[in-house]
Amino acid sequence: MTAPRQIIVSLCTALHLLLVYSVVAGAQPQTFDSLGARYDQETRPLLSRFCLECHSTDAKEGDLDLERFATLADVRQDTKPWQKAFEMLTLGEMPPEESDQPSADERDQLLGWVRQYLDAEALAQAGDPGPVVLRRLNNAEYTYTVRDLTGVELDPAREFPTEGAGGEGFTNVGNALAMSPSLLVKYLDAGKKIAAHAVLLPDGFRFSTSTMPGDWADEILGDIRALYATYSDTVALGLGSELGNVNVHGDTPLGLAGRLPLEKYLAAAATIAQQDEIQIGTVETIALKHELSASYLHSLWETLTAGEPSFLLDGFRERWRDATPDEAAALAAEVAGWQKTLFTFGPTGLIGRKGGRSRWMEAVSPLVTQVELRYAVLPAAEGQEGADTILDIVITDAGDGNEHDFVLLHQPRLVAADMPDILLSDLLQGGADTNAPADPAEPTEEPPTATEPVEAAWHCVPPVVLDASMFGKHPDGHEIDAHSLCVHAPAVIQIRLPAASTAGREFVSTASLDPDTGAEGSVQVLPVVHGVHPPPVIRSGLFTPEMSVIYSVVSSIFSDHQTVRFRGAILTGKGLAGENSAARRRINEAMDEYRQLFPPALCYTQIVPVDEVVTVLFHFREDDHLSRLMLEDAQRSRLDRLWTELQYVSESPLKQLDTLELQLEVVLGNPQYDSIVAMREPLYARGDEFRQELTDSEPHHLEALVEFATRVYRGRMTELMAEQLRGLYHQFRDHELPHDEAFRLTLARVFVASPFLYRLEDVPAETEPGPVSGAELANRLSYFLWSSLPDAELSAAAEEGRVTAGDTELLAQTQRMLHDPRVRRLATEFACQYLHIYDFDPLAEKSETHFPEFADLRGDMYEESILFFTDLFQNDGSLLGLLNADHTFVNDRLADFYGIQGIEGDVWHRLDGIQQHGRGGILALATTLAQQSGATRTSPILRGNWVSEVLLGERLPRPPKDVPQLADTVPEGLTERQLIELHSGQPACAKCHERIDPIGFALEEFDAIGRRRETSASGLPIDSHTRMPDGTEIEGLSGLRDYLLQTRRDQFLRQFCRKLLGYALAREVQLSDKPLLDDIMEKLRANDYRVSVAVEQIVTSDQFRKARGKE
Amino acid sequence: MKTSPIMSSHHFSRRTFLRGVGVTMALPWLESRTVWGDAPVQTVQPNNQAPVRFGALFSGNGFRSGEWWAKGAGQEMELGKVLAPVTDLREKLTVFNGLFNAEALKGNIHSSQTGNLLSGAPLASGGEIRSGTSVDQVIAQRYGRSTKVPSLVLGCERSNAGIHKNYSMLYSSHISWSSPTTPTPLELYPALAFDRLFKDGATRSDQSVLDAVLAEATQFRRNISSMDQHKLDEYLNSVREVEQRIERAGDNGELQGWRPTLDGPNMPRPADGIPQDLSEHMRLMCDIVVLAFQTDTTRVCTLKLNNDHSYLRFPELDANEGHHQLSHNNDDAYLRVNQFFLEQYAYIARKLDEIQEGERTALDNSMIMYCSSMMSGGHDAGQLPVVVVGGAGGQLPGGRVLDYAGQPNRKMASLFLSILDKYGIRLDEFGDSAERLDEV
Repeated sequence: MTAPRQIIVSLCTALHLLLVYSVVAGAQPQTFDSLGARYDQETRPLLSRFCLECHSTDAKEGDLDLERFATLADVRQDTKPWQKAFEMLTLGEMPPEESDQPSADERDQLLGWVRQYLDAEALAQAGDPGPVVLRRLNNAEYTYTVRDLTGVELDPAREFPTEGAGGEGFTNVGNALAMSPSLLVKYLDAGKKIAAHAVLLPDGFRFSTSTMPGDWADEILGDIRALYATYSDTVALGLGSELGNVNVHGDTPLGLAGRLPLEKYLAAAATIAQQDEIQIGTVETIALKHELSASYLHSLWETLTAGEPSFLLDGFRERWRDATPDEAAALAAEVAGWQKTLFTFGPTGLIGRKGGRSRWMEAVSPLVTQVELRYAVLPAAEGQEGADTILDIVITDAGDGNEHDFVLLHQPRLVAADMPDILLSDLLQGGADTNAPADPAEPTEEPPTATEPVEAAWHCVPPVVLDASMFGKHPDGHEIDAHSLCVHAPAVIQIRLPAASTAGREFVSTASLDPDTGAEGSVQVLPVVHGVHPPPVIRSGLFTPEMSVIYSVVSSIFSDHQTVRFRGAILTGKGLAGENSAARRRINEAMDEYRQLFPPALCYTQIVPVDEVVTVLFHFREDDHLSRLMLEDAQRSRLDRLWTELQYVSESPLKQLDTLELQLEVVLGNPQYDSIVAMREPLYARGDEFRQELTDSEPHHLEALVEFATRVYRGRMTELMAEQLRGLYHQFRDHELPHDEAFRLTLARVFVASPFLYRLEDVPAETEPGPVSGAELANRLSYFLWSSLPDAELSAAAEEGRVTAGDTELLAQTQRMLHDPRVRRLATEFACQYLHIYDFDPLAEKSETHFPEFADLRGDMYEESILFFTDLFQNDGSLLGLLNADHTFVNDRLADFYGIQGIEGDVWHRLDGIQQHGRGGILALATTLAQQSGATRTSPILRGNWVSEVLLGERLPRPPKDVPQLADTVPEGLTERQLIELHSGQPACAKCHERIDPIGFALEEFDAIGRRRETSASGLPIDSHTRMPDGTEIEGLSGLRDYLLQTRRDQFLRQFCRKLLGYALAREVQLSDKPLLDDIMEKLRANDYRVSVAVEQIVTSDQFRKARGKE
Repeated sequence: MKTSPIMSSHHFSRRTFLRGVGVTMALPWLESRTVWGDAPVQTVQPNNQAPVRFGALFSGNGFRSGEWWAKGAGQEMELGKVLAPVTDLREKLTVFNGLFNAEALKGNIHSSQTGNLLSGAPLASGGEIRSGTSVDQVIAQRYGRSTKVPSLVLGCERSNAGIHKNYSMLYSSHISWSSPTTPTPLELYPALAFDRLFKDGATRSDQSVLDAVLAEATQFRRNISSMDQHKLDEYLNSVREVEQRIERAGDNGELQGWRPTLDGPNMPRPADGIPQDLSEHMRLMCDIVVLAFQTDTTRVCTLKLNNDHSYLRFPELDANEGHHQLSHNNDDAYLRVNQFFLEQYAYIARKLDEIQEGERTALDNSMIMYCSSMMSGGHDAGQLPVVVVGGAGGQLPGGRVLDYAGQPNRKMASLFLSILDKYGIRLDEFGDSAERLDEV
């Protein structure tokens, strides 16, 4: 029993002399002369004695003819049979048991020669690029490449046939990537589908996740809105809110968004104000810190610290100067009061109509030349005695001093329908029925702004009780109309209206500035009735007028013009030229300045008007305030570009025409017709212009397509090919296909083209291997590391010849690419295939009855493995970490599955100290453990075989014919291990199973979906103590890990490197690659086993940089 | 050649440049008919008779050991449990005992036992991919030109990636090979298989696209290695073949005399995607095979029910383990799965038998083979389970058990030579055989 086993162990160690690990490193390579001599003298005679009976030219058993190798020269013609012979000899499979066996010395002699010959041949052929068959992009590469080209997460290969593996077991090998007519049709269809995602733009095209033009427009709308949201307050205020003078129809859920978020800026500006030294840099810094627009903060700062004196701003500046950041809200509220006075909002759906407004937010002026003063005295309730009404006519200087402020109150009187007016001058002279002289009333209220430190002119003046003597004369003494008053602001005229004579009547007068002395004056006049009107809030001698906006509704479909009313408007004189007094101009300028700095809204975020039942406009743009105040130049041009694209993509200028005609039809003969028909001319003009723009853009699309194809073709585009592409497009146009269709077909054609689907490489001109071109090398590199085409940076380096000029740039690009997130694809495509867990995600191989939780976990399990390898490559981990990592990646579900507390949520975390939870490294990944198990129970055989073949690269002898069967479920009273031991105990099986089963037993601590366990499926305790084929006794996962790290380290690492090399080259690793693998191993040892060292050695090798010459 | 006036100039130039670079000589045959040269092979059937169809169904991993057997003849034939589902068809059944594929014994297990099942060719190991053109594709390339689609290659399980025991697992997943280096890509989606038969999506514009990419690829062909040229020729041929299909669209129905019993599909297009339920998936694929034959859209179909080394599971049959593990367990659950597969086979046969084509049924005008890569889950390929149902248009009497065990000529490839004869394709050798099976 022990003897044959020792042979197997020693022989299978010998097998790895060849490619798996090298024990003769440093030994003198043999010359072919000496090998030739020994072949004639020793080897050939041994072959004759032990091999040629079956492997003669005639018998040729197993397709092997060794007789034809008369001399070493013949041997060197065909090395492959000798590699096979070496394998069979080391495995002990040849000569077969029933034949004569060589002595141990003879066997060593034979084997020794073959090995030395193969080593010598490997050196002689070192660096051979090997046979690399033209590679079609596999499904994954195709998908990644399409995604990188389009910038959109498309999945065009979803229904393609799955591909097989070649070479070292990867799906990127040319000869495993077949083409067929049916596959070609799939590529054609996929190309058309990709082309359907192209969004044509005025100067080119881009791709969208959607194929629906409506979605494309929505994407642009989204981009515009996102830009708006960066600088404006987008939480919509409901109707009737603070700024709710927007009047819209019905229950349209339209609030006022896009507001200036002034409070933030004032708070930040206050911060600046409190700093000692103010510089531009400081404004920028503060803006950056608070994520504010530096541009606006700067304007605000400038205006608040400097600028011309302004009757609107001066007081505000003073208050701001003393404010702390937490007083910003109060300051903003003050501004909000004026914003309500200086702006109105209206429905955008009406814009463009004759007589309609031109903006959503319009400036409105509270300046008037006369003010109607009216107050209706309510009749007393029946049976009650009415109280006298006390009316204050408040007249202020409007905050700018009282020069010229002579206000004329024209014939104050009490009027009632069908009754003669009662002039107040008569009433106060007792002419009317009153016998109660008007007593001076005590002021009943304190001025409302007593707490404000203001220079409020009017409430510093005591109220003057109106009496008859005040009528008919100007304060300067000259006479005026006997029934009118003239007052010099500031003043408060208090009028007591006796209940008896005034009930049911209305107080009426008109206030204006005295034409002779008040032409350049400016005042505010406001009647305030005690107990009825709230007293005005005074700031800086001005109070903010109250505005109301009333829309008159003409029909149920279209609303019409609005009326704006002010209470407490600013009254100016008529000046010398009509209403254009100097005071008026001055005030207007101040208000304009204020409006420019403090618009209540920066932009119309709704964009699509929905405030009317039917509108002509598709999109409405009003963002001039945002653009002017908030944006930098680059943002401004991006915004403009987005708007141009929106119009282009939605074709709104043409669609608006259809809507317009439809509406005109509806209102034909109605009063609205005229106002809408006025839109016709400009909209048609715009339509024509737009059609021209469409036509003008067509050549841009074609050129953009050619440029795009240049990327798609990855360095193989020529001017002739570009011309052929254009030719195809024009051919379609000549056959009367519309531009859009011709463009898309030409685009689809690019995705069916051979330079896209295949990784074409020119053959070197000589018969010797020659370097591939820069573009070809860049492609090799990016398909190795990213499974996709080179990015702009790598392409540029290739084009400029840097990638092919020595190692420096190639290595720099390699390092850059390894750190890029796209290296996740190397983790997925290489590492997961290497571990045989590729496409683990949809694995439906577990019994739902036994493992109902598996279906929901498998995606997380796969993600953990991908993240583990992504981290390895991206952060240049040690290859030893593949076995002994003390970290992994988990989300809440996987942590829970692994029995780890404290991880919450779907987010993935790197978790250190994982070994204490019995995890760490690829041996303990849920994926590998579950993959190498049955559907209902663990399989130590599968796991052991996986470690042996996949991780260590051992080759097991072929199983005997008719292997005995295993029971489906483990019989009562047996663990899975005991079941396997029953099977493997049979002599026919023991030969292999002694090598693989013990490895699997060590992993019995994990169940069939990779969960740690204490007992087997049948409830029996787990026994993970086991003896390795070389006699080492180990215990469980940690034992196996240490064993592989210590005893089998080189073999494990060499196998990893072999697979990495095979993946990089897309071919099987061959004899001539042995020196490179030796070299990689040496460099790894000297560099802490960092994975990038292996990658660097590969990409700088001749194999990677060259191609075989022409035959 | 029928061409639209617009396209004729392209055809001329395309042909000219293809000749110029010698593509014609280098073309490996794909799942297609001959492009230039050979005249169409006519079936041995006279023009007024239905054509003979060929179908092959495959499942991997063999069957419950000891339960695949047949003895007796005609109505008296007795069948083992695995074959029980075809009992009612036994008078149209030919059971082959003792056939084997010598090349399949030379490699390791599984993958090297399947990839050459229908070709008898040696398989390349060590990451290389090479088998031989399979019997179905030989028929398709020579005989499939009479129909809209030369052949259908269907499957119900995704291909395996990876390498197993030094052989690509492509071999475990592909019984149909369009050329020695081209495993025919399988269609897994019932809807897409249906579309291939009945959708005429290709247009004149498509043809222009194909013209353009063909011309372009030909430019590249000059500067690449001869190995790469060979691979690129797969592409050139595929493009050419698709172009020809477009040209041919509308040419159907030019047969003289015989007309298929159905002009178009009599079932709705299957839903997109792969059905969740495996039995539904298989049933749809079976329906498509029958429909393809009945409408004479194609005369050659292979249907791979699962891979060798398959991971498919059958919980609805109360079998919890995956197929490969089941095959090693070799228990009653495995037998249920075996029978489930043979029921699919019987389903196709019965449906064809219900279609009357003149005096015969469609089944009488077909040869539908069923085989696996091994006899049982123990990897034994010393003799293979093989059965054919259908009369090959009167050329194959059913109700027979032919026993080749122990005979020198017991090669699968010999059976294929005999089968090819029924399609008028008389080859001197095929795979590893130069002899026919006399009884077939």
